[in-house]
Amino acid sequence: MVEYNKVTDEVVKKLVAICGEKYVTDSEPLRYSYMARGIMGLEAVLPEVVIRPANTEEVRKVLMVANDNLSPVTPAAGGLSGGFALPAIEPGGILMDMTRMNKMEVDTENRVMIVEPGVRCGDAWRIFKKRWPDWAPPIPDGAPPGATILGDAIERGFSLVTGRYGPQADMIMGLEVVLPSGEMFKTGSWALDGAKAFYRWGVGPNPDGLFLGSQGSMGIITKAAVKIVPHPHFKTIVAYGGDSWEHIVEPAWEIGKYEMGISDNTVMVQGGNWPLVMTRWPKSNVPLDYEFYKKIGIDEYWMNSEVWAHSQEELDFTLKRIDEIYKDYEVKKKTVCKQQQLHPKQIASRLKKPNLIAVPYALYEAGFLFITWYCPWLESSKMMEEYCAAMENYGFPPTMWVASIDHARQAIVMPILCFDSSKLGIYDKIREFNIETTKSFLKQGWINYRPDPFVHAPMTFSKSKDYYRMLVKFRKVLDPNLILHPGRLAIPWASVTDSPSPLEGE
Amino acid sequence: MTSLEELRKINARCIHCRACQYAYSNEPDREGADEEYTGMMLSCPGGNFYGWEGYFNSGRMWMARAFLEGDLKPSQEMLEVVEACTTCGLCAEQCTNYIDTVDIIEELRAAIIESGVEPLKRHKMIGDRVLEEDKRNPYNDPRSDRTAWHDGSVDDKNMKVAYYVGCTGAYRQQGVAKHTASILKKLGVDYTVLTEEVCCGSPILRTGQKDIFKKVMNENLEMFKDFDLLVFSCAGCFRTFKVDYPKQSGKPLPFKVAHTLDIAYDLITEGKLKIEKPYNKKVTWHDPCHTIRHIGLSIEKEILEKSDNWLLDSRKAAKAKEAWYERPREVIRAIPGMDFREMYRIKGNSFCCGAGGGVKTQFPDMANDTARERVKEAASTGAEVLLTSCPFCITNFNDAVKALKKEEEETGKDLSAMGSKLQIVELLELMDQLLD
Repeated sequence: MVEYNKVTDEVVKKLVAICGEKYVTDSEPLRYSYMARGIMGLEAVLPEVVIRPANTEEVRKVLMVANDNLSPVTPAAGGLSGGFALPAIEPGGILMDMTRMNKMEVDTENRVMIVEPGVRCGDAWRIFKKRWPDWAPPIPDGAPPGATILGDAIERGFSLVTGRYGPQADMIMGLEVVLPSGEMFKTGSWALDGAKAFYRWGVGPNPDGLFLGSQGSMGIITKAAVKIVPHPHFKTIVAYGGDSWEHIVEPAWEIGKYEMGISDNTVMVQGGNWPLVMTRWPKSNVPLDYEFYKKIGIDEYWMNSEVWAHSQEELDFTLKRIDEIYKDYEVKKKTVCKQQQLHPKQIASRLKKPNLIAVPYALYEAGFLFITWYCPWLESSKMMEEYCAAMENYGFPPTMWVASIDHARQAIVMPILCFDSSKLGIYDKIREFNIETTKSFLKQGWINYRPDPFVHAPMTFSKSKDYYRMLVKFRKVLDPNLILHPGRLAIPWASVTDSPSPLEGE
Repeated sequence: MTSLEELRKINARCIHCRACQYAYSNEPDREGADEEYTGMMLSCPGGNFYGWEGYFNSGRMWMARAFLEGDLKPSQEMLEVVEACTTCGLCAEQCTNYIDTVDIIEELRAAIIESGVEPLKRHKMIGDRVLEEDKRNPYNDPRSDRTAWHDGSVDDKNMKVAYYVGCTGAYRQQGVAKHTASILKKLGVDYTVLTEEVCCGSPILRTGQKDIFKKVMNENLEMFKDFDLLVFSCAGCFRTFKVDYPKQSGKPLPFKVAHTLDIAYDLITEGKLKIEKPYNKKVTWHDPCHTIRHIGLSIEKEILEKSDNWLLDSRKAAKAKEAWYERPREVIRAIPGMDFREMYRIKGNSFCCGAGGGVKTQFPDMANDTARERVKEAASTGAEVLLTSCPFCITNFNDAVKALKKEEEETGKDLSAMGSKLQIVELLELMDQLLD
């Protein structure tokens, strides 16, 4: 395992000299306040010091100090749907709270915005509403207002228009990256002095893919140029039910095929099953039997489409075509995909951005975890069936959510593991569950997104050894002392643990 | 729930999503007048002022968890961070996991102190004063002067109604006590006040000094137990009696409680009270956390605690809470001639005045900064008058306006957009002036 040094008083003094006394703390309670276990990950190590840099130059200087001292560095701002990046290795090192870096520039002519890491979705959405009402910042959907645009983008996350535009990383037009050596560079056309971030592939081979999804393990991104999208004001949600995963996944694929047509209007397509409704409420204070949900009109499975259009006519046409596609599907498959009667409040809360749709699952018991996988869209029903069965085997309610990426090309499948985080042994049980399902899913060629560094990452890399070796090489070029947070990908493995490497046996 | 340990499982619901940092996190998309006041707004007084995660509720929940797990040891340093919170409850209003954030913060404070850490200096001072037999109030004033403001019935145990004046009404804002007495008289309520009344314990409980709190709570419960109804003018005292006494004593109150505005509300909505005199001013209203959000949340919780189906009953509970938030507005709308303008952050999403939870006493800069933000929001409505009904809100807003005026004098700048011209008015005082 890589040996790191502790953050000494001398290092703290250097950090204070860079960021100012007000923005450096080694206060134990404040360090604990940054902790999080659950929703996005279960590993967290207490940072030794927390700093709040104001700009790229401070980040650069801090990285050089950390590099000299061999101290791990974890950048974090608002995080994603919940929780955020935290140190995962001992010693915890320096946690960079990037929330002070919250500048945002918007260029509607070139349809791009430049964000620092601390630009929160709630603030971006608020400002766009008034200043650029016909444009939307690509904020994550279902994430609370404190989540950041940059965090979601570099994580290759999920945005409010992912159904049409693909994962958030596809919206990137350029990055500004700082390396532990103190070197800095921009990607895309931005690399050219004075050029705008108008062309992602820039002046030569574009390395930005190394940083997107790296969770900061390759370099710290201090700015990102991200596409903004039109924000037409004729919007609604329609939902259709079904009696199986297959019968909600397939019609959505039929709609997805209409790219350059109605599928472009369905900016967000997502579905779930009835436990997704049940587990939003306390286990002891909600009916646990499907009969109740049936009675109140909730199908066992459903898929909803969020439709944006530039006119009422366009909206009506899209809804009519969606309905026709469902009707054709019903005939073809001799099944029923009943249109769900949504209360106006349900529609309003779904259309609200940012929204807290992904948040309330801790109420069922006292904690929850999102485990996220990507697979080809039509394979998602098989994955969900398998997942739900495994969840029930392990005593978890089979709460499942799915959404389309890029016109139903891929699926993001997300079981929501509701559990009592205060119960002894629960994390071991989750680990066993993860190991079992991961073994099966990797065999089927599905990919974990936001892996558990001790389960998904090594299991995935043991089946993609060449790729892993290349990632390690890249990482060692960019961060030779391996001081950056190893991310949930745990590259290289040796920076995380002494346990056997994914390359074991070679 | 009366200890942090009992709240362990509720605390464990926190997934660190940080929705609690924003007003309107949990509501349909909201349209305001301008870029500053629209959509969701960062609205945690402590977090906004200090910036570190530990000063936001989201960070405090994880400090509480670390404390419960024995990872974070209690210390003066920890208490300093945990006490820098107005316990306004905006975070609780946002939380879709229904975490009782204020209870957790108050119980965390108490647990730190119970573990042997001294209360913060100024908090300890008010706790000590409340215990001193010749004072029994946090202001260091003689107990013998407690009812000096009053020329009506005193210590009449034959009365059915008692007016619990509270320390601020008795010693610092006697005008409010006098106006309340006058309103009660005009509304036909016969009441008495008790010379033996002791501090309700609100600032003591908020700052984690539970032993002292329990002592005063028991004394007050004993002292007033034979009355049918206790009326209040102080938001903090009212909240403490209505919400905290049953929770901390484990027993229902032996009497009914009502804020004077509630009595007026009932009479107005029943058509028994009509305000004839006009008040021809542009007015905005600040919801005091203690009487509006805290009570609203407790109403919601009470309904849910009895429910075996939250999916169905959560809407009913939210409606009951909203109805509570509407009550002062009904009173205000009953005043003729008034040009009433709502601020952007209102009701459950109201931004705190900055004085509560022991902050005004111990962290005056944070209190002042928060009040300035709120008076600026009030000024943005174009109102001349900022109306509220809480002695701490009144004091803190007045201090903020005074500071703005001073700054105007020193710099020559016009700070009216920041609220320097605002008149801060207690609704009870206004009601008294308008009622015949």
